[in-house]
Amino acid sequence: MEQANNVFEIEKLNLFYGNKQALFDIDMQVPKNQVTALIGPSGCGKSTLLRSLNRMNDLIDNCKMDGLVKYEDQDIYNKVYDAINLRTKVGMVFQKPNPFPMSIFDNVAYGPRCQGVKDKKQLQEIVKRALINSALYDEVKDRLKESAYGLSGGQQQRLCIARTIAMSPDVILMDEPTSALDPIATAKIEELIQDLKKEYTIIIVTHNMQQAARISDNTAFFLMGYLVEFDKTDVIFGDPKEKKTEDYITGRFG
Amino acid sequence: MKTSKRKRKDIVIQSLISFVSLFGLFILIAIFGYVFQKGSGLLSWDLLTSDYYSTTYNTYYDGTLSNASFERPESLDENTYFSSNWGIGLTDAFDNEGKVYILINYVDSDSPFKNLPDKNVEGVFQNISEDQTLVKVIFSNRTILYSSEGAENAALMFDKADGIIDLLTSTSGKGIRGSVITTLYLIVMTLVIALPIGVFTAIYLHEYAPKKSKLVEALRRLVEMLTGVPSIIFGLLGAAVFIPFTSTITSADGGNLFSGALTLAVIVLPVIITSTEEALKVIPDDFRQASLALGATKTQTTFKVVLKFAIPGILSSVLLSIGRIIGESAALIYAVGTAIKDKIILTERSTSLAVHIWSIMAGETPNFELASSISIIILAVVFILNFIVKFIAKKLSFSGGN
Repeated sequence: MEQANNVFEIEKLNLFYGNKQALFDIDMQVPKNQVTALIGPSGCGKSTLLRSLNRMNDLIDNCKMDGLVKYEDQDIYNKVYDAINLRTKVGMVFQKPNPFPMSIFDNVAYGPRCQGVKDKKQLQEIVKRALINSALYDEVKDRLKESAYGLSGGQQQRLCIARTIAMSPDVILMDEPTSALDPIATAKIEELIQDLKKEYTIIIVTHNMQQAARISDNTAFFLMGYLVEFDKTDVIFGDPKEKKTEDYITGRFG
Repeated sequence: MKTSKRKRKDIVIQSLISFVSLFGLFILIAIFGYVFQKGSGLLSWDLLTSDYYSTTYNTYYDGTLSNASFERPESLDENTYFSSNWGIGLTDAFDNEGKVYILINYVDSDSPFKNLPDKNVEGVFQNISEDQTLVKVIFSNRTILYSSEGAENAALMFDKADGIIDLLTSTSGKGIRGSVITTLYLIVMTLVIALPIGVFTAIYLHEYAPKKSKLVEALRRLVEMLTGVPSIIFGLLGAAVFIPFTSTITSADGGNLFSGALTLAVIVLPVIITSTEEALKVIPDDFRQASLALGATKTQTTFKVVLKFAIPGILSSVLLSIGRIIGESAALIYAVGTAIKDKIILTERSTSLAVHIWSIMAGETPNFELASSISIIILAVVFILNFIVKFIAKKLSFSGGN
C-alpha cells in the first residue's frame, strides 16, 4: 500500500477497557479520499478502533490506551491536542439514526452553530449544501422547520450524515450506519457513500460483508482484537493471504 | 381440567383487580363529590375577587335631587325594590346567621349614589356600588332606616326622602382574593428560586459529577431522604433561618413572602432534583456522543441537546412542585403566617389558600362550606396550571422523540 496520502497512521495501538484488552498492537494506515471498511465478527474491536480515531473513547471512564494514532501527521493523543477540534475534522455517523429533538434545519446547523457561526445567510447556505450533498434536500426542502422525527429511519440517517457534512470534515467515520435500516434505505446510503468519497475519506464499520465488498476500496479484517489482514478490497475478497480471513469471508465462522 | 382451573384463577384475579381499582375510584369520587356539594353553594366570582375584610362607607347627600325620576330597568327581578327618586335597586338578603339585611343590587349610572361626599374625610367622594350592604340611613326628615327593616320598606322611605344626613354602607367582605394572590406569588417566587438550583444540581449530579464518587452518592441519598421529611420541620427551618435572614436584608419583621418562598423552595428542591435527574437518566448516550462528535463542547451538549430532551421531565417536576406549594400549610404557618390580608405586601405576613382553609376551620365555628369552596378553587388552580404546563411542554419539546 502506498505510503503517501494517508489520513490516519496507527502504530502499535493497544486499548483496554478496565482489565480487558480490546485491541492488540494495531498497525494500520488509512488512505485519503477512499472508503475503508472494517469488518469482523462482533466484539472483534472494529468499533473500538473507529472510536479511537476521533477520541470518542475518551468518554468511557475506564478506557486506557497506549500506542500512536496520527491524524495528518499529528499525534491526536498528545496532551496538547484538542479533541473538540479533532472532531470537527473527523465526523462520525452512528449505528442508530439519532437526530436531535429540533427541526431539520437546526439539526444540520447544530455543528456550525456550536462553532460560533451566527450569520443566518451563511447558515442557510451551509445547511442547503449539506442537505444536497447528502441527497436529502429534495425530500425535505419544504419542511426544514419541522421536527426531524417526522422523517423515516433512512432519511434520519441521511440527516445525520448531512449534520456531519455541515462541519465540512475531512474524514467521516461510520459505525454500522445501515444496520438499523431497510434494504432500500441501505441502498441509498451506500450510493451516497460512493458520492461522498470524492470529497471525504470514509471509514466504515460494517457487519455486512457484501456491503464492504460493494462500497469499499480497502478492507481491514479484525478478529479478537487483532488486525488480521488489511489490503485492497479486491484482494481481501478475491485472494486473501490469511487463512482466517478466507474462512470468515466464505462464511466458515462469524 | 387443568386449563379450567387456570381460567378460573384468572377470572378471580382479574375481578379482584377491577374491584380494587373501582373501590379506589369510588373513594376519590366520593371525596370530590363531598367537597363540590358542600362548597358549590358559596362559590362565586365575588368570593374570588372580593376582600376578606368589609369596608364601611359613611356618606351623606345634601344636594337637590334633579326630580327626574329614574327608569326601573327591565333586567331587575321581582324581588328587587326600585327607588325611582334615587335610581337604586334594593333587595333582601340573608347573612350567614340567617338574619335579613338590605343589599344594594342596582345603581343607575346617573344616580347620586355614584358620587356621594364622605362624611369623615372632607372633599372625598365615594362611589356606592352594587353589592354593598345598606347598614343604616338617616334621612333629612330625621327618619331612620335599619338594614333589618327589609328592602320593600326601604325603597318606599327612599322615594319619600329628598336628602340623606347619614348613609352607612359596607362591602360584603369574606372574600379570598388576598389569599389567592399570596398563593400565586408563592408559586412564582418559589419556582424562580428552586427551579434553576434544582435543575443545575441534577445536571451536575448526572452529567458532570464523577460517576463512582461516594460523595455524590451520599448527596443523592440525602436528596432522596429530604423528599420524605415532614413539612412542619421545614417550617421550623423557615422560622429559625429564613425569617431572620429575610428580616435582615429586607424591611420585613417576622414572617413574610420571601421567607415563605425560600422555605417552599427547600421543600420542592428534592422533587425537582430527583425528577430532573430521572429525565436525564433516560436520555440515550447516543445523543450526547452525537453532539460531541460534531465538535460541540460538553457545555454546548448539555444545554443544547440534553436539556431539550429533559424538558418534559423538568416540567413535570414543576407540576409536582406547584402541587406541593399549593397544598403546603404546615410549613407556611411559621414562614408566612396565618394573617388573612387583602393587600399583599411581600415583606409582610399573609396567608396562602391552604392556610386560609386551616384558619377558618381552626376557629370556634368551623366553616365547612367556605373551606370546601376554597378547596374547589385550589383544585381549579391546580387543574389550570396542569393544563398550562402540559401545553408549554408540548410547545417546547418536539413530539415523537425516540
